[in-house]
Amino acid sequence: MEISDENFRVWAENNEVYFDGVFRLAGPDAYAPIYSLITGLLHEGHKQVTFNLTGLEFLNSSGINLLAKLTIEARKIGDLLLIVKGTNQHPWQAKSLPNLKKLHPLLDLRLA
Amino acid sequence: MAPRIYGIESLADISLDSGARLKLSDGPLQLGWKHSGMTSDFIAEIMALPYARSRKDYLQAHHDIGYLSNELIENAVKFRQPGEILIEAGMVEGSFLIRVKNAIDSETSSRFQQLLHRLQLKDPGVLLLEQIETNAISPESGSGLGLLTLLSDYDARMAWTFEENKDEHIILTTTAAVAMPPSSNL
Repeated sequence: MEISDENFRVWAENNEVYFDGVFRLAGPDAYAPIYSLITGLLHEGHKQVTFNLTGLEFLNSSGINLLAKLTIEARKIGDLLLIVKGTNQHPWQAKSLPNLKKLHPLLDLRLA
Repeated sequence: MAPRIYGIESLADISLDSGARLKLSDGPLQLGWKHSGMTSDFIAEIMALPYARSRKDYLQAHHDIGYLSNELIENAVKFRQPGEILIEAGMVEGSFLIRVKNAIDSETSSRFQQLLHRLQLKDPGVLLLEQIETNAISPESGSGLGLLTLLSDYDARMAWTFEENKDEHIILTTTAAVAMPPSSNL
């Protein structure tokens, strides 16, 4: 399972999804294939799923919208633990990732 | 007719004559989108250089300038009427300032002014979470998060000026500023 272009790569290994590069797609329609890929994984019956964002250098606001929509999807699945791994090396993460925690208080946000 | 201004009015008057000035010509959306990314990367590269002595300050300045520029230029590309987009950018009193000017149609103008009205009444952080929840249940809606993330997550100061043109278009000028790291060697 992988989606990529010259700027980014998204792939899943078991129950961990990796986001790499720069997300600057033109809007929800352009992000739809990535949304479908990850929503599929969320509904596979795992006890926990991890979004690994440590390689995601930059994203536009439509990319933030994608992460928020996926968080809401995980929230709807009552017994799924969502872990979000981030890094303080990419300044957007400390600024915008805490919003995900506001959407889903049980989300486990790990910013290192 | 007198221009209508929303946000921090004093920002709209600040001169950027000594800053950088770029014009993006009209063209297909796909190309405009590519130019939006390239232009914001370019502005971040040249404007963040004075912070290069500290890796932490440099990363912060480069990212904040890049994100702010990218959101403003993406909006201009997405909503513009045929014509060029004028971009001015510079450093003013410890802040990075960018001004983007382009034509929009009257429908976009009134929809946008409604959003700016709502912004006067509510905290941008609250509006951001509300917009995210709305987007999650209505997949056809655009993200609409650009300005809200800038105001809520980046503490951006912003002003919007709407001027009626001779034809039926409205000229929208957006000015935005974010504070830069204090320990610069400017």
